[in-house]
Amino acid sequence: MSLSEYVASRWDTLSLAAAEHALVVAIAIGIATLAGVGIGLVTHRVPRASNASLAVSAGILTIPSLALLTLLIPITGLGWTSTLVALTAYALLPIIRNTVVGLRGVDRATVEAGRGMGMSRVRVLMKVQLPLAWPLILTGIRVSTQMLIGIAAIAAFVDGPGLGTQIFEGLSRLGSVNSLNATLAGTFGIVIVALLFDLFFSVVRHLTTPRGLRVRN
Amino acid sequence: MFETDTGGAQIQLRALTKQFPGQAEPAVDSVDLDIPAGELVAFVGPSGCGKTTTMKMINRLVEPTSGEIRIGGEDVLALPPDELRRHIGYVIQQIGLFPHLTIGENVGLVPKLLGWDRPKAEARTEDLLALVNLEPGEYRDRYPRQLSGGQQQRVGVARALAADPPVMLMDEPFGATDPITREHLQNEFLKLQKDLRKTIIFVTHDFEEAIKLGDRIAVLRNQSHIAQYDTPANILANPADDYVASFIGADATLKRLALMTVDEVPTEGPPDPALPQVETGTSLREALDLMVANGTDRCSSPAGVLSYTALCASIGREEVAAGDR
Ligand SMILES: Nc1ncnc2c1ncn2[C@@H]1O[C@H](COP(=O)(O)OP(=O)(O)OP(=O)(O)O)[C@@H](O)[C@H]1O
Ligand SMILES: [Mg+2]
Repeated sequence: MSLSEYVASRWDTLSLAAAEHALVVAIAIGIATLAGVGIGLVTHRVPRASNASLAVSAGILTIPSLALLTLLIPITGLGWTSTLVALTAYALLPIIRNTVVGLRGVDRATVEAGRGMGMSRVRVLMKVQLPLAWPLILTGIRVSTQMLIGIAAIAAFVDGPGLGTQIFEGLSRLGSVNSLNATLAGTFGIVIVALLFDLFFSVVRHLTTPRGLRVRN
Repeated sequence: MFETDTGGAQIQLRALTKQFPGQAEPAVDSVDLDIPAGELVAFVGPSGCGKTTTMKMINRLVEPTSGEIRIGGEDVLALPPDELRRHIGYVIQQIGLFPHLTIGENVGLVPKLLGWDRPKAEARTEDLLALVNLEPGEYRDRYPRQLSGGQQQRVGVARALAADPPVMLMDEPFGATDPITREHLQNEFLKLQKDLRKTIIFVTHDFEEAIKLGDRIAVLRNQSHIAQYDTPANILANPADDYVASFIGADATLKRLALMTVDEVPTEGPPDPALPQVETGTSLREALDLMVANGTDRCSSPAGVLSYTALCASIGREEVAAGDR
């Protein structure tokens, strides 16, 4: 069977796996964005706090994904939950980092002008610093997403959702019927999911970057 | 918020001091200053002498280490800072417009914070943009990055004026403008201030600007120590010491002439159409310029003939009067 015949014959399984792959990444990114931006907002003014959160999230990232997933089995079991927990944890570093750098990078004069006009600190943070830091934060989210799409394949080891199952099934039966097709279909599927996410982020970036930051003379 | 008779409120600083942590000497050391309601005081002094720090203590962007600040008799340090700042216009030295908001939104921000309704805030924004010479139709919907530095500075001034605050703190508001725009802005600002009578602290490095705009000038040394605090005419006629004189420069007398008009000098005889003509309200400096340019020692105003001798005498008399103090 050729690859295209294989894909056609397993279309239901493959498209469901791809959808689940995208979904688990999307949920993890959603949670990590809320948590990471939140941590960045709270800690960016206190170097000690932001450095600590960066160190922790960087530490998580050094744990091999297979090891982290295995460690999670006794706690959250097999399947979706463990996958989500691991992916969320991996996504934090780029998001926290870019949030902290973005918020700190806003011109001091701009912040001071806001305070000088009688805007509260929280208001300056939410209405001035956050919009100005947003393009950088979004870049962090985008980097995390690309990273998670790859890592999510490994979730197959804890019986997690996604295209990883195809790849690893194929690899484990290498040489037998359709094993190469399964691995290739899974890999291409992941590439396509990654491309679609990137397209999505291009659109989001365009729609959410304040116009005043895009204009040039 | 503040008690005012004019458009402005009196500002009193008492032993106002700021010691930044980790620095050997205070940045501002025990400043005492009274600014009458409705007057514009120009702060002049070298870079780093504490002008900005002194101003920022008044709107509490910098918390004083010790001392007292009163505006319209009210103890500023007892007021909620955010509420206080909404009633003090602040033009920041680095301009500091919000790049993600349009010019109109930048100017309308404080009225919005104060809860003005939309039509009122929008009308105000239009008026203010026109006032600082930016055609509202053209500029309201632009973004700060689409404006030149001087234009941004004017938006900064409009923004500070937006909620009609009784007190304005202006940190080199016209620093980034070319001489012609600058002169235009100064003139517009003078006209405006004549009507509004706000209490204004105006920092400038340009002594000419201080003379032109200031009801009084505070010449500052390091740590905001006040070297002299007086009207421009008195400072020019009687600089307190060499330090103050060094700010005035070599042409103190010409600067004094610039502060007086032909109407203040006694004339001789009826107007003479054969002489160079000056209008009422012309400064004595311009009159002198005209005489020198025409090689005459007389010119004619609608009130009569003005002589070089009378012009000199008017300065001399001023000097005696000031010396009596
Ligand atoms: N936040 C700060 N922390 C520590 N030192 C400061 C701070 N702000 C100002 N200073 C110091 O206080 C002194 C006065 O500074 P300030 O900004 O008031 O000067 P300035 O008169 O406004 O100068 P310029 O004309 O250059 O604007 C300087 O020595 C400066 O280094
Ligand atoms: Mg300054």
